[in-house]
Amino acid sequence: MLAMFVGFNASAQTMPDVKLENQEGKTISTLDVVDGTPMIISFWSTTCKPCIMELNAINDSLYEWLDVANFKVVAVSVDDSRTISRARAMTQGQGWDDFECLYDKNQDFKRAMNVSLTPHTFIVDGEGNIVYSHSGYTPGSEQELFDKIMELQ
Amino acid sequence: MKKFLLILGVALAATFVTESAYAQVKVGKGQLSGSLESNNIYYDKDNIMQESGFMKRPDKVFGSHDYLKLDYTLGRFSAGIQIDGYLPPMYGFDIYSLKKKANRIDGSSMLTGFFTKYVQWEDTNWGVRLGDIYDQFGNGLIFRTYEDRALGFNNAIAGARVHYNLNNYFTIKALAGMPRYYDKRNTNWVWGADLSLSLSDIVGWNNGLVAIEGSYVGRHQNDVLAYAEYRGITGLDSKTLNMVSGRLNFEVAGFTLRGEYVTKLNNDVDMNEGVHEGRKGNAIHIDLGYSYKRFSASATFRRQENMNTLLMLGGQGGCNVINYIPVLTRQHTYLLTNLNPYQPTSTGGEIGGQIDLYYSLRNKSNRTKYWNFHANFSTFQNLDYVEYPGAPVSEGKKTWLEINVDAERQWNRKIKTTFLYAYQEYDKSHGLGAPQYLKSHIFVADMTYKFNKKHSLHVEAQYLADFDNKQGDWVALLAEYNFAPKFSFYVSDMWNCEKAELNFANQKNYLIHYYQVGASFTHGRTRIQLSYGRNREGVVCSGGVCRPQPAYTGVNLALTTSF
Repeated sequence: MLAMFVGFNASAQTMPDVKLENQEGKTISTLDVVDGTPMIISFWSTTCKPCIMELNAINDSLYEWLDVANFKVVAVSVDDSRTISRARAMTQGQGWDDFECLYDKNQDFKRAMNVSLTPHTFIVDGEGNIVYSHSGYTPGSEQELFDKIMELQ
Repeated sequence: MKKFLLILGVALAATFVTESAYAQVKVGKGQLSGSLESNNIYYDKDNIMQESGFMKRPDKVFGSHDYLKLDYTLGRFSAGIQIDGYLPPMYGFDIYSLKKKANRIDGSSMLTGFFTKYVQWEDTNWGVRLGDIYDQFGNGLIFRTYEDRALGFNNAIAGARVHYNLNNYFTIKALAGMPRYYDKRNTNWVWGADLSLSLSDIVGWNNGLVAIEGSYVGRHQNDVLAYAEYRGITGLDSKTLNMVSGRLNFEVAGFTLRGEYVTKLNNDVDMNEGVHEGRKGNAIHIDLGYSYKRFSASATFRRQENMNTLLMLGGQGGCNVINYIPVLTRQHTYLLTNLNPYQPTSTGGEIGGQIDLYYSLRNKSNRTKYWNFHANFSTFQNLDYVEYPGAPVSEGKKTWLEINVDAERQWNRKIKTTFLYAYQEYDKSHGLGAPQYLKSHIFVADMTYKFNKKHSLHVEAQYLADFDNKQGDWVALLAEYNFAPKFSFYVSDMWNCEKAELNFANQKNYLIHYYQVGASFTHGRTRIQLSYGRNREGVVCSGGVCRPQPAYTGVNLALTTSF
C-alpha cells in the first residue's frame, strides 16, 4: 500500500520557501534567489573553520570557473544573534564580495534543508531543483562542486 | 558493541540509499525529506586517568544521542516530526544527571527520548504553525527557543504561531505554547508578540534601513507563590512574569547600528543566589558595524542584570531557560585557545563587550594570493553582587579579558598558513570571591599544503605559555591528511609539559597526554566520523552557551545523513 504512495522519482527535490535576511538586513524569500542561474548554496558559520576554508577555496577559483560556466555562489550564514554581526563583518573582511550573502538567524532554512552539520553545500539548478549536496569539507572537494555545476551548463 | 555494528550497518545502507539522494521522494503529490544524526560514545577504562583522579571509572559503557527528522512538503503546506533518542544519555549532558537522579528513586531505565512535530502553512505574506516552534524576538534577550544538539539543548514551545506582514512596512508575529523541558513537556505557559515597523520602507527611503521593533513576552507558572514560600523568597508576587523590549535598527552606507533594551515588569527570582528577594531585570545590547571595501569592524556592548529568564522556577540545568544571553567572546577553533573558555558568572549580572576588526589584502590579478587579518578584543566584568545570604554587597570585578590577532596567508595554490596569538585572562573563581586569574599567552601556527587536487596535509602546532606558573605551559600538535572528497585522517595530542596536572588527593603530579586519532568518510550527504582518544575535563561550548564535560577516554562514532 505504502509503495503506491512512496516512490523515488527521477526529478529532484525543490528548494523550500523560507524567509531570511540579505546583506542589507532586509527579509527575503529563498525563492527570490532562484533566478534561472545555477548556484552553489553553502551553509556556514563564523565558528566553523572548514566552512570558511571551503568558501575561500571557491572564492580562489571563482573567476576561473566563471570563465567557463554560468553560476553564482550563495553563502548562507547560520550564525545566531550572538555572532551575526561578526558574520556580516567577515563576509567583507574575507573578500567574499562576489557571493550573495544571506543570514539564516533563526536557522529556518537550515532546518528546512535538513542540514545537521556545517559545512553543507548544495548545487541547485536555475529552476530551484536541488541536484547535488555534500556535507563536510576536505581541501580539494570544491572540484566536485564545479564538476556538478559543469553538468548543468 | 552490537549497537556500533548496527550503526555502521545503517551508515552503509544510508550511503547506498543516498546514492540516489538527489532524487525526490514522492509521497502523493508532495515530497518527503529527512535527516538522521547519530552520535555515539563507547566509554573505555583508562588506568592513568583513573589513578590520577582526573577521571572516574565509567559506570556505563555506552552513550548514544540520535535524531531522526522527517519533513513533508506539499506546496505551501508542510508538516514534520523529529524523534530525539538518548539511548542512553552521555556523560556531561543535563539529561544524564536528571535521569541518574530519577533512576535512584524509581529505578527506571536511562533510555529516554522526545518527539517534536509541527504542521505549517506559509503563504506569501502570512503564515500559521501549530506544534513545536523555534523562534526568537530580536537578539533573543527576551525570548528564544532553539535546538543545539552539541549541548543537548532544545526548548521548543508546543503551541501556535501566526505572522502577517504588510508590504514590508510592518510585520507582526504572535505565539503561545508550553516549552520542552528535557524529555518532558513543561506545564508553564509562555506567550508573546513581536512587531516590526520598517520606517525606511514606509517613507520610501531606499539608501538604507530604519526599523523600530518591539516585543512582549509573558511566562505563567501556577505554583510561583508556593515556590517562593518554600524557598523563603520575598517579593515574588505574580504568577505571570511580563517582559517588554524595544529595538532600533539603522543601516546606511556601510554603517550599522542595532540596539535593544529589554526589561522585566514583574519581580522574578534573583539569579544572584545570595539574594532571597524577588527582583526585576533588564538588559541593553548594542551592535555597531562598519565596512568599507575589504575592511570591516564590528563592536558589541551588553549589560545585563538578572535577565536570565527561567522556563520554570525550581527547574534546573541549561535547558531551563526561555531566552538567550550567550557569551560574546570569540569562539575559538584551536585546542589551546579553548582550554579556559569564558563562562558567564552566576552572580546575576555582567557588563562587557567585544570588538572585531577584519581586513583582507588581495592581489587583483591573482586570486590565489591574499592575506586575511583579524583582531579581536573582549572583556567582561560582573556587576555588584551578594556572595551568600546576609553577606555585604561585593564589588563586581573583571572576569575575562582577551586580545587575539590572526593572519591568514594564501601563498599560492599549494600553501596556506595561519598564525594566531591570543592573550587571555580567565578568572577561575567565575567572579565569586577573590579573583584567581589564569593568564595565558597562546601561539598557534597552522599550515595546509596541497600536493595536488585531491591530496592535502594540514598541521597545527600550538603553545600556551603561563608566565605566572599557575597552570604550567601546554603544547598541542595536530596532523591531518585528506583525500578529497571522501577521506580524512587525523592525529592530535595535547599535554601539559610541566606535569602541572596535580591530583589534590595524593599531591602527585601526572604527565597526561590527551591524544586523539580519527578518520572521517564522506559520501555526498552522508558523513561518518570515527575517533578514539582521551578527553580532558572541561567545558563544551556551542553558540556561546557551554556545558561541563567530564573527562573520558573512548571511541566516538558519529553519523549524519539526509535525503
